[in-house]
Formats: sequence, structure tokens, C-alpha cells
Amino acid sequence: MDIFTSIPTHIDYVGQAKAEKLYRAIITLFSIVGFIWGYIVQQFSQSVYILGAGFILAAILTLPPWPMYRRNPLNWQNPRNTDEKSSGKKGKK
Amino acid sequence: MYSVLTRVNAILTYTLSVLACLTFLCFLSTLTVDYRTTAQMNTVKVVVKNVPDYGASRERNDLGYLTFDLKTDLSNLFNWNVKQLFLYLTAEYVTPNNELNQVVLWDKIILRGENAVLDFKNMNTKYYFWDDGNGLKGHNNVTLTLSWNIIPNAGLLPNIQALGQHSFKFPVEYTQTRV
Repeated sequence: MDIFTSIPTHIDYVGQAKAEKLYRAIITLFSIVGFIWGYIVQQFSQSVYILGAGFILAAILTLPPWPMYRRNPLNWQNPRNTDEKSSGKKGKK
Repeated sequence: MYSVLTRVNAILTYTLSVLACLTFLCFLSTLTVDYRTTAQMNTVKVVVKNVPDYGASRERNDLGYLTFDLKTDLSNLFNWNVKQLFLYLTAEYVTPNNELNQVVLWDKIILRGENAVLDFKNMNTKYYFWDDGNGLKGHNNVTLTLSWNIIPNAGLLPNIQALGQHSFKFPVEYTQTRV
């Protein structure tokens, strides 16, 4: 399990919104193109294949944490130093 | 969207929803198609026998025997929402026993991409032409019609009757010999 958890998959909040817009746009676009092409060649299977290609492309572009999804990291406050207060009660936690 | 698995889930469900929409649009795009077309039929040999019907009552019933010609071009019926056609040839007639008799004599499946230009000569029927009594001998108005059932990718399963039919008579005497 360590191997799986060590793979970085995190994308930030702005990146999540971007990824969602991107996969919707890609799959919708491929479905429209696939519908038109399938109608032209009168083969519904062609529409399904084109939609499947859109799915794969969307998966490649939005599943891994590409750098464009990690440009807005949250500015966390610096951790407060609490060592002085609890120094006397070590081991209680 | 916060983890890889939720992203996979979101993409997959969206793709499948879009696929359902596409299928429905495909159905809508073929909703108004007119699937009727012409077919020419003719009977070549027509014979009637009187033999025991062991499949039903063991009484002697009328058994029609015929061979037929069939000529039709169904290739323009295929579109992107037709997977296959189920053709069937029906004999329709009226007897004193029944107001309407319908007997399916022959059928055929044509898959998409197969040859749909049919020109059969002197074909045997696939199924027995039994009457439930003695209504066939000397019957002078039996009508052959060709119909097809359209099996689509998505949508309705219409039964369409071909334009064109053929009426024939049965002989007034039973045939005793084997045919």
C-alpha cells in the first residue's frame, strides 16, 4: 500500500475546477463529433468508438496531477510552536 | 474531484450519461423513417393434402404445400439504427371455422451488412401450412404477405408489412401422392 499512497495524486481547488471543466468539454465535444460522423457513415458503433476515444483523452488529461492543476496551492498558516506549553506533559498524547 | 478515484468516477459516469443521450438521439433520428417497400411474390406449385395432424388432434386436417417466388430489395431499409431484419411470409385466409387465419410459412433473418437484395425462385416453405380443419381444399382466396420486424440499436420494434401481396387458390382435389 505504501507504493500506492506514495504516488502523488493531489490537485488543488482551482485545479479541480479546471479539471472538471476540461473533461466535460472534451467528452461533450467528442460526443458531438461522434454523433455527426456516425450519422454520416450510418454506423452508430463509430459514434461509440469516438466517444470512447474522448473518454481516454479526458482520463489522460485530468486524472494525473499535471502541473497546471497545482498552480494555486493553499497558503497554510505556519504551524504554531506548542512545544513550550506541553513540554512538561510529554507522553500524555 | 479531490482524489483520483472520484475523478475516475466522475469521468466514467459523465461518459456513460453522454452515451445514453447519443443512443436516444440516434433513436430520435430514425423515428420518422418510412420502412415500407415493395415486394413481389408468386406461388409456383400449390397442392393440398388431407393427412393426420399428429401434432394436434390426430384428426385428418388439410395440409397445404406450396413453393413460391420472392423478389424484393430491402437494402434501403438499413440505417444506423437497424441491426437486423426478421422477414416472415404469412398466408392469410378466411374459413367457416375462423374469421381470420394467419399462418407463417417462411422466415429469414438479414443481418446488417448481409445481402438484402432477395430474388428467390421456387422456394420451399420452412413451416407446415396446417389448417385446423378442412378449410384449405378448394379455397379460392389465400393471400400471401411479406412482413418484417425491425430490430434496432435503440427504440421501437415495428412490424412492417410490405407493399404488394399475392392471392392464390388451392386445388379442389386432394393430392394423394407424396410431394
